[in-house]
Amino acid sequence: MPIEILAQTLVNGLFLGGIYALVAMGLTLIYGVMIIINFAHAEFLMIGMYVSFWAFTLFGIHPYMAIILATVILFLFGALIQRGLIEPVLKAPLLNQILLTLGLSTLIMGLAQFFWRAEPRSILIPFASSSLRVGDLILNWPRLIAFIASIVLTIGLYFFLKKTKTGKAIRACSQNRVAAQLTGVNVRKIYMLTFGIGAALTGIAGVLISPNYPMTPTIGQTFSITAFVVVVLGTMGNFVGAFIGGLIIGVAEAFGGLYLGSDVRQVVSMGIFILVLLLRPQGLFGRMI
Amino acid sequence: MALLEVEGITKRFGGLVAVRNLSFSIDRGEILGMIGPNGAGKTTAFNMIAGFYKPDEGRILFNQEEITGLRPVLVCKKGIARTFQVDKPFPEISVLENVLVGAYIDTSDTKVARQNAESVLAFLRMEAYADKLAGGLPVGWRKRLEIAKALATKPKMLLLDEAMSGLRPSETDEMIELVHQIRDQGITVLLVEHVMKVIMSLADRIIVIHHGEMISIGKPADVVKDPAVIDAYLGEANSHAKD
Amino acid sequence: MTTPQPTHSEQQSSSSITVRRSNWFRAILLDWDKTQLALSFLIILLIGLSPLFIDSPYLLGIVILTVLYAYVGLAWNIVGGFAGQLLIGHISFFAFGAYTTIVLLNHYHISPWLGIPAAMIPAALLGAFVALLTLRYGLKLDYFALFTLALMVVLGIVFSKIPFLGGAIGMWIPFRGESWAMMSFVSKVPYLYIALLLLTIGVVVHYAVYRSKLGKYMIAIREDEAAAAALGVNISKYKTIALCLTAALSGMGGGFYVVYTTFVEPPLVFGLPFNVELLVAPIIGGRGTIVGPILGALLNKPVVEMVRGAFSAERAGTTLIIYGSLLMFFMLFLPRGVTGLLEKPHQKLRSYLLRKLESEKE
Repeated sequence: MPIEILAQTLVNGLFLGGIYALVAMGLTLIYGVMIIINFAHAEFLMIGMYVSFWAFTLFGIHPYMAIILATVILFLFGALIQRGLIEPVLKAPLLNQILLTLGLSTLIMGLAQFFWRAEPRSILIPFASSSLRVGDLILNWPRLIAFIASIVLTIGLYFFLKKTKTGKAIRACSQNRVAAQLTGVNVRKIYMLTFGIGAALTGIAGVLISPNYPMTPTIGQTFSITAFVVVVLGTMGNFVGAFIGGLIIGVAEAFGGLYLGSDVRQVVSMGIFILVLLLRPQGLFGRMI
Repeated sequence: MALLEVEGITKRFGGLVAVRNLSFSIDRGEILGMIGPNGAGKTTAFNMIAGFYKPDEGRILFNQEEITGLRPVLVCKKGIARTFQVDKPFPEISVLENVLVGAYIDTSDTKVARQNAESVLAFLRMEAYADKLAGGLPVGWRKRLEIAKALATKPKMLLLDEAMSGLRPSETDEMIELVHQIRDQGITVLLVEHVMKVIMSLADRIIVIHHGEMISIGKPADVVKDPAVIDAYLGEANSHAKD
Repeated sequence: MTTPQPTHSEQQSSSSITVRRSNWFRAILLDWDKTQLALSFLIILLIGLSPLFIDSPYLLGIVILTVLYAYVGLAWNIVGGFAGQLLIGHISFFAFGAYTTIVLLNHYHISPWLGIPAAMIPAALLGAFVALLTLRYGLKLDYFALFTLALMVVLGIVFSKIPFLGGAIGMWIPFRGESWAMMSFVSKVPYLYIALLLLTIGVVVHYAVYRSKLGKYMIAIREDEAAAAALGVNISKYKTIALCLTAALSGMGGGFYVVYTTFVEPPLVFGLPFNVELLVAPIIGGRGTIVGPILGALLNKPVVEMVRGAFSAERAGTTLIIYGSLLMFFMLFLPRGVTGLLEKPHQKLRSYLLRKLESEKE
């Protein structure tokens, strides 16, 4: 296999991985703080894409400007969902939580299909296919920008969590809810905030990929289970792990597509998933349970 | 005739030695009380016999058969039943059904198991609660249910883990009477307790554990006079007084 | 152990109340489990009479699927309700069954009358495989759930790559004329009765398991594994049995499904939407109860179809909206399901009957 193809695959994989990372980071943040597996998470991606689509179609707003819009909308949406729907079941048995978020996911998909029809839509901007050439590598501009954005967001999130008061409050909640409460942290607010941030991150990912992917109400499903793979691989709750895990899975899928054919790409991530679940369920960065 | 023989068992958790070289035996039909200050290692020793922990060293023999390191399921099948300090009922099913789970130990026939369960409930004078959901029982009866479940497995030996904690004096008296009756049925008893009144009225012999080691074993009257025991308990009291 | 004769007051175990033979009806009503069983049979009977009132193939089709979903719900309830395990991706068992039956039929010309029961075997084997793997590696709770989902995706991809199984396009059963032997009918009515037969088997097996040692052990595992182990319950063994039972029964459901709909393809039977659809009935009906899966299916499928009919212009998404809303509503407000709602009225009925019995004694 010529080195140029391998290098290109690697680049493609990294770019894809950046998107996975963004989706997974939101998911893992939510899990770390609330210990809930949010099956509806990938729908935030779908909504982000549609925000981008409608902003472009109705108002001619360029997708990257729509990021701001998407962030706001999804943040609020996420916070509201947490307050109204998630909060009541946090103390309920695990199956109830899982089914609630599964139901939410189904509902959101259904609503999207109902209002926005099921056919794929695309944002048609010439920019979508323009590329940067670096040697023999073709770096598709939107994907490159998405990748850079994911790195920037990761770094931003890192500093937010480590340095700001709110960020520290979030980390406190994920480590020890009761202790956090005792030190005056408004846990409810933190939950809403975390869910909002998680949703917003994923929504941004949706906007970022909107030039390259056709959007359908079920596009979330494609990313959903892969997001779980990334979260578990990178250790649940560890958002740096989610970033690294995302890149790993992206690259693995890219190479899987290269050697096995693109329709069985998912086997690679599922295979990794099963191996991780069986052999190292605590993920790359967790301690032995 | 020794029913249970514990030979030099040791258990470490990381760097901490919870139980060190513990040896004792319990005779058939005996009631042995196990006491000791908090954190002495009683529960660890108890859990090693019940199969919840595997001893790092030593052997445990039951009925001359080696049971060291056997899992709780198998320990139960060999004839040792246990209660839990914080009682563990099956909350969503009835009291009778709770006991029924234990009663299936040697049969698959529901009729037979049900009869066994009902007679256990009768023995514990709990028939009135048979159809009540276990999750809604008051504390005293929850403790009884713990014992009922264990008895349904037709054990040769019963391990009671602080079965009297949190009971009113009248309830405690009833429980003491109950344990006597259990022994009268031919069941050997090992009980871990903090309540001295219970130990003194029930135990044929007492074993005292301190810092993971046995510091005294013998008849209750002798053990309470043992200077090592007094030291252990007073030493505890003194160290508290200094704080 | 000496057995002193217990004294029972009227408030106690209904099994020990001596009831005159003419009051067997009352005896059933006093026992919630028996009431649910009776209700199940009543529903089966009523559905069995429905072809007298329903002509339209469309409506009959809804009834058939409702019955099938009830059956699959009962199957799930064994490991998901009684044993309390977080089985989410159980459609894989259903799919294995479907493929078994259609392969036996299409490739080997074996009648579905044999092919549907035969579907239990590969499904049960898959169940054993899952149990072995998850027990060996200690996958519990959410990890177990995620594993079953990942397995579903992998199997879907694998099946779409095997030409013998029709590959990505799937397989279908061509209509070769009316034949009892090959379970091929023009009218939907025979399918309804076959489905009811399946449901009856399901109800009987489900109830028998519940009342047996198997059922009690599963419930003990669900309620408190450590306590169960201390009472001599072999946790691994019974979890495996529960999963295999669920798998085998689900497999039969898949077998019937493929014969009735004459079509199977990987994205359908290894897909999350269908999986969720099968999960809704036992959940909203009442997980772990006897009649729950049936009531849940009755509530779910017909409602979905009716709403779909009302929005005939905007079909897309209505099914999903209803499933999603139902799931969410029940998880938020009625976690014990429809059967949970019926518990209190039954208790009142029971007290009333007991008081009547007491007054009759005087």
